[in-house]
Amino acid sequence: MTTSPPDPAVHVRDLRKAYAVHEKEPGFMGSLRSFVSRKTRQVEAVRGVSFDLHPGEVVGFLGPNGAGKTTTLKMLSGLLHPSGGEARVAGFEPRRREAAFLRQITLVMGQKQQLIWDLPALDSFLVNQAIYEIPDDQYRATMREFTDVLGLDGILKKQVRKLSLGERMKCELAAALLHRPKVLFLDEPTIGLDVNMQESVRAFVRDYNERHGATVILTSHYMADVTALARRILVIDQGALVFDGDLGSLAGQAGAGKTIRLQLRSPVTAQALAGYGQDVSVDGLSAQLRVPRAEVSERAARLLADLDVADLTVEDPSIEAIMADLFGHRTPPALERA
Amino acid sequence: MSRLNTARVLFATRFAEMAEYRAEVVIWMLSGTLSLVMMLVWMAQAQAAPGGQIRGYDAAGFATYFLSTWLVSQLLVVWVAWELDFEIRQGTLSAKLLRPLDPMWTHYASHVAERLVRLVPMLVLVTAFALLSGARFTTEWWAYPAALGLAALGFTARFLYEYAIGLLAFWTESSTSFQELAWLVYAALGGMFAPLDFYPAWVQAVAVWTPFPYMLGLPAQLLAGKAGPEDALRGALVMLGWLVVFWFLRLAVWRAGLKKYGAVGA
Repeated sequence: MTTSPPDPAVHVRDLRKAYAVHEKEPGFMGSLRSFVSRKTRQVEAVRGVSFDLHPGEVVGFLGPNGAGKTTTLKMLSGLLHPSGGEARVAGFEPRRREAAFLRQITLVMGQKQQLIWDLPALDSFLVNQAIYEIPDDQYRATMREFTDVLGLDGILKKQVRKLSLGERMKCELAAALLHRPKVLFLDEPTIGLDVNMQESVRAFVRDYNERHGATVILTSHYMADVTALARRILVIDQGALVFDGDLGSLAGQAGAGKTIRLQLRSPVTAQALAGYGQDVSVDGLSAQLRVPRAEVSERAARLLADLDVADLTVEDPSIEAIMADLFGHRTPPALERA
Repeated sequence: MSRLNTARVLFATRFAEMAEYRAEVVIWMLSGTLSLVMMLVWMAQAQAAPGGQIRGYDAAGFATYFLSTWLVSQLLVVWVAWELDFEIRQGTLSAKLLRPLDPMWTHYASHVAERLVRLVPMLVLVTAFALLSGARFTTEWWAYPAALGLAALGFTARFLYEYAIGLLAFWTESSTSFQELAWLVYAALGGMFAPLDFYPAWVQAVAVWTPFPYMLGLPAQLLAGKAGPEDALRGALVMLGWLVVFWFLRLAVWRAGLKKYGAVGA
């Protein structure tokens, strides 16, 4: 007897979004010309993206600014109507914005979203409890859970406008997840937060995913968010999906290379190391350089033979370096699956 | 039951929010002085006219009429078009669209809650203005609930069409210019500049096909003792008809607008 795999929590096929943008030359004459004849340009923000996410999966959604990440998330949460293609989230078509769909999802964007600015955060939670029709016992249990994990004690009764950025973000997250959504779209949830607060948010998302089996799709410029939470990575560039696979495979992408770190017994110049690899940096007796993945052994052997090396380590490249390599080109390659 | 609970919580929260702005609400009320300025102009005209009257209104009659329009207009204040214009252009509408409740109800709860915050200072101010101007409101008890009922219908109708105007921000750079035009028509045909029977006949003929005389002028005339119960009943029926029209108009513009929404910014 065979069991069929569960239906995907998120199913996306050939999703597209194009919109017109108005263009105007700067200055007074530009304004006059625009007043008489307005120029518009068609922008293809998302160009045929396809992927499936399984229930409970946590996925990092990466790409440079303007790649189409946020536009994709907005289509999946029902805020934007796609220009073409198909999207189903938790079995619903997002653009219809049915109440049953909205009860299953959340989208967190920035730190000023859900909360009522002039009232304590607790009032916003009560409003969400009423809107989502959360039973009292579930509301109390969820608040206890969130208070423990996020450390909300002492801030719930303060006016939202008097909260610090980090405190506000914690409350925003709690408000956005109070109804226990099954699918979380998190768009830069840690942006602007200090390191400790970023870690709290990560811990909260990890804990929520484990407790409730929620599917999470996360965009972030902080690679620590992605490496801490996601095993699978989707990379989008210029509106097209260019990578879909696990973190390790992403590191194996062409051009990513590896980093050799050296501890030297006698100083050398960066110029002297330039012949062994790229992106050389030297700091006293420490140095590092990047070498092609296929030539790591040969370059390491040469370094050990030619220089007075006390220690040598080989590391996978940082995800930032991988991104820099991936987006150094401007023509999106065909989708890599790993 | 759960809908009632949602309405109760929304109203209570919005009341708490509006109460934070109580001082600003009073200042806002004082800034809506057009009726009071018109009252002074027409009272002076009546005092200078032969017989101290113009078309049956003496100075005290004008004071009563314009104070009544001021009172009713306080109940009809709607700012939702400004808020929607901001929310759509800045993208802050997105957070509201993610919740399983039409954002209209949050705005409606805010407006109704603000009326309660407005109530006490409004009654104090109208009493003071009445003592200063010599206004004499009707002694017919039924006129007060009738005027209040018409004002409630008028407020809801105005809320709905202003909402539809605010939604034009889905298509235009700014919808507030349309709102200002709509205010001018509302003030003119509602009788804020002068009682409607002072206007040329053709304007009066056009006005009766609009909701404005019934939402502002008629309740004011009821308070002034210049309209009867049958006028109130007819006005209420007309307003109910307009409510249905504006309900569907708002819904159609909302549905079409969502397809255009760019969710920029937030």
